[in-house]
Amino acid sequence: MKDPHRPNKNGSGLSRRDFLKGSGAAAAATALATAPLPALAALEAADDAKVAGMGPAPVKIQLTVNGKKMTQAVEPRVTLLDTLRNHLDVTGCKRVCDRGTCGACTVLLDGKPIYSCTMLAVEANGHDIKTAEALVVDDKLDEVPAAFVRFDAQQCGFCTPGFVVAMRAAFDKNPKATPAEIEEALGGNICRCGTYQQMRDAIASLCKSEGK
Amino acid sequence: MANTWPSERRLIGTKIQRLDGPEKATGRAKYSFDINRPGMLHAIIVRCPYAHAKLKSLDTSAAEKLPGVKAFHQIAKNGTELFYAGEEVIGVAADTEEHAMDAARAIKIDYEILEHLVMEEDGLASKGKNTVGGRGNLIPGEEDTKGNLDEAIKHAEAVVEGSYGVPVISHQCLESHGLVAEWDPDGNLTVWCSTQATYYTAQGLAQYFKIPVTRVKCITHYMGGGFGSKFGPDVQGIVGAELAKKAKAPVKLMLDRASEIAAAGNRPSAYGTVKIAGANDGKIIAYQVDSYGTPGAGTSRTVGPLPYIYEPEHTKVKHTVVRLNRGNQRAMRAPGHPQSSVLTDCAVDDLAAKLGLDPLQVRLRNLPPNDPEAVKQAPTSIRALRHTIYTKEIDIATKLANWQKVWHPPGKGPGAGPVKHGIGMAIHTWGGAGQGPNDTTTTISSDGSVLLQCSTQDLGTGERTVMAIVTAEVLGLEPKDITVRIGESQFGRSGGSGGSTTCPGTAPAALNAGVAARDALLAKIADRLDAKASDLTIEPGQIVDKTNNKKWPWKQACAKLGMDSVKGVGNWTPGLSNNGVGGVQIAEVMVDTETGVVRCTKVVAVQDCGMIINKLTCESQVAGGVIMGVNYALFEENIFDRHTGRQVNPDMEFYKLGGIVDMPKIIVHMHDMPERGVIGIGEPPTISTCAAISNAVHNAIGVRVPFAPFTPQNVLAALAKKGNA
Repeated sequence: MKDPHRPNKNGSGLSRRDFLKGSGAAAAATALATAPLPALAALEAADDAKVAGMGPAPVKIQLTVNGKKMTQAVEPRVTLLDTLRNHLDVTGCKRVCDRGTCGACTVLLDGKPIYSCTMLAVEANGHDIKTAEALVVDDKLDEVPAAFVRFDAQQCGFCTPGFVVAMRAAFDKNPKATPAEIEEALGGNICRCGTYQQMRDAIASLCKSEGK
Repeated sequence: MANTWPSERRLIGTKIQRLDGPEKATGRAKYSFDINRPGMLHAIIVRCPYAHAKLKSLDTSAAEKLPGVKAFHQIAKNGTELFYAGEEVIGVAADTEEHAMDAARAIKIDYEILEHLVMEEDGLASKGKNTVGGRGNLIPGEEDTKGNLDEAIKHAEAVVEGSYGVPVISHQCLESHGLVAEWDPDGNLTVWCSTQATYYTAQGLAQYFKIPVTRVKCITHYMGGGFGSKFGPDVQGIVGAELAKKAKAPVKLMLDRASEIAAAGNRPSAYGTVKIAGANDGKIIAYQVDSYGTPGAGTSRTVGPLPYIYEPEHTKVKHTVVRLNRGNQRAMRAPGHPQSSVLTDCAVDDLAAKLGLDPLQVRLRNLPPNDPEAVKQAPTSIRALRHTIYTKEIDIATKLANWQKVWHPPGKGPGAGPVKHGIGMAIHTWGGAGQGPNDTTTTISSDGSVLLQCSTQDLGTGERTVMAIVTAEVLGLEPKDITVRIGESQFGRSGGSGGSTTCPGTAPAALNAGVAARDALLAKIADRLDAKASDLTIEPGQIVDKTNNKKWPWKQACAKLGMDSVKGVGNWTPGLSNNGVGGVQIAEVMVDTETGVVRCTKVVAVQDCGMIINKLTCESQVAGGVIMGVNYALFEENIFDRHTGRQVNPDMEFYKLGGIVDMPKIIVHMHDMPERGVIGIGEPPTISTCAAISNAVHNAIGVRVPFAPFTPQNVLAALAKKGNA
């Protein structure tokens, strides 16, 4: 199995195919036990047919977005953010700087916050994605967005879903986090309207709260 | 009889959560950028890469053959001179963004590159040059004089000369400028546009396409920041609608970050040399400023009133506009005022230092008096009240900041270490008048539901909630009971959200529409309740007959409408709003004299805006204004490269904006003056923050850092100059 674009071995001694298999297994283990993902199977088939890597034609990928399985063909150059927004109509994640600085595109990938503008959709293949839209069920808000509403920690609101997701992730990682630790965790997000003071009120209340 | 605000207010002036908060906080709110229409194309604009060039020729033949490419719209004609890097050349639409980018790259464009100037100092030295068209690079200002400045300075007990300035900064709206445009087969145009003016945007598009305004619908349900830069259809609005027409498909055209910064406006720079003279008692006698700034390739002045607020007897003011090959300035949150505030209030502190006085005392000594004529003619006007307002606000602010204890002479703070503490103050003013038209319709249905419609827009200010609070106050309901439909041009005329005019323009309209709807309801159901309409009154949740104290719950009373519904139409009317506010800010900083790092640790902001409608969102506006001012003082600057003529930081990684950990503790105090009526709040609280921080840095290190942002580089340079002096 030769990949004409890359050497067979990388530093870790894994072939690209082995690596893909490994990450696929990891994704399956962290999400639910699933059958081999169709897109991965397609990639393997591509390798077998000695096709030169992925693209430029669209590649079929599968994502679990806010609990729903979604399949989409995207060009390999398309970011996870643009796939969510332009192809899957999941628009809670916003495109602002588009180069990994402002955090408006923050989503949870297998529970961890990432900038979806700096990950290609094909890299996210098979993974579980959550956006701010997942933090409300039947009009019942998760405690984090509820605190943003209560303390008015949002104005235009364009940065807010990114902040909410990043803060949710910080509390998930450490439910006993101090306000200073939560502020640190929001260091990758920027608000232009200037809602930080109200955000601090929200953080103070959440740090005291038991049920977050 | 004209309506008045209720003398006892149940909701107005209290803290009420914004109605659209849950939608925004969970990403469900659909902004223009989020609209995806069936069959929608994606468009981008190809921009001139040179700071000054002539468009020679343009060839789309290769691009046309690429997959997915649907339409082109040439913006600049061949032969046109383009005056900045980022000026629009041609738009292209394709089925995906990626295909649109491929097409953009495949368009062959020939330019004749021309000489450019992008640095203020080069512009100033450019005598006789013209790289920007029209009147050339330099527009020298007229000298404006009052009294006899030279004579006054000669005899003054203290004279200080200093340089102060602020750079060009970007609005950095997080939702960039742009829209989704869609034509229906009958020739009606719908746009979902990120704008501060739905009505003017529809009007602008209608005029451009020569169709009646009734055939254009501009929708702005949610808007991701404008700060003064988003009025009318703008270039990308026209191009998006043209491409949609040509391709016969909906088109999304939202600017990428670099285009946003290059072409969608900025706050212009202002640099000045100031001479200020005073008496030993702190009285400012004379003020002279020779200033310049760049509005880009535009022509507007870059400063507001000078001197700012204080009224010394002798003044000489001159401002030169330096036109450069950079994107045009646009209104940005209190245009001109932060610049004027720095050029005035920093000089006031330097004078106080020279006189050995507490700058608080110098400010109190020089506050403009209440105008006796205004006191007689218009007792609630800012001219009648300004001295009273500033004195009160300074008193509140200095107490909240513990000024008497915390202030120390410049450079004489506590502690011997390298990190120095400083505190500084500045004051500001703004208009914020209410105005019409803001056509508002309130409908009460027989199930008791209430619908308010107005084409005004909510930029994140809480406007939607303002309309609901006023309506609920009038009808005895809760704000959440009111369905507020705003942000659609076809609901009637409304003003653009600029100049802090939206709340004072629309709150009176909501009051008038609410009262009209209430009166129509009572007139309609009185008979059916066996009562006289004039005996009926509204109490929270119910309608009451004053003569016999009979009560009907709201829904039960509205059910009497049967098959009917009632409407009240209202607009802005004079007497319910006002114009002119004051405001005082005190900043504290810690300055590391070894690294030059400035940390702003605390800002106290005391602000009036007449009658407060929603105290919660009002305080948010003030804190947000302060944060924008902190960014202005410490981080922001559009940095240009002299040789290429391009901005080196048209992004968000090298264009610095503070995060939550960079921000001071902010204490907001609203000085509520309901007797004045409603006045806008959006702009004033960002004006004086930069000057207050500059004064705090001066207080910390005993030397003026002349130019913002107060970065380590600028702070260390000022310290080095002091060391060499």
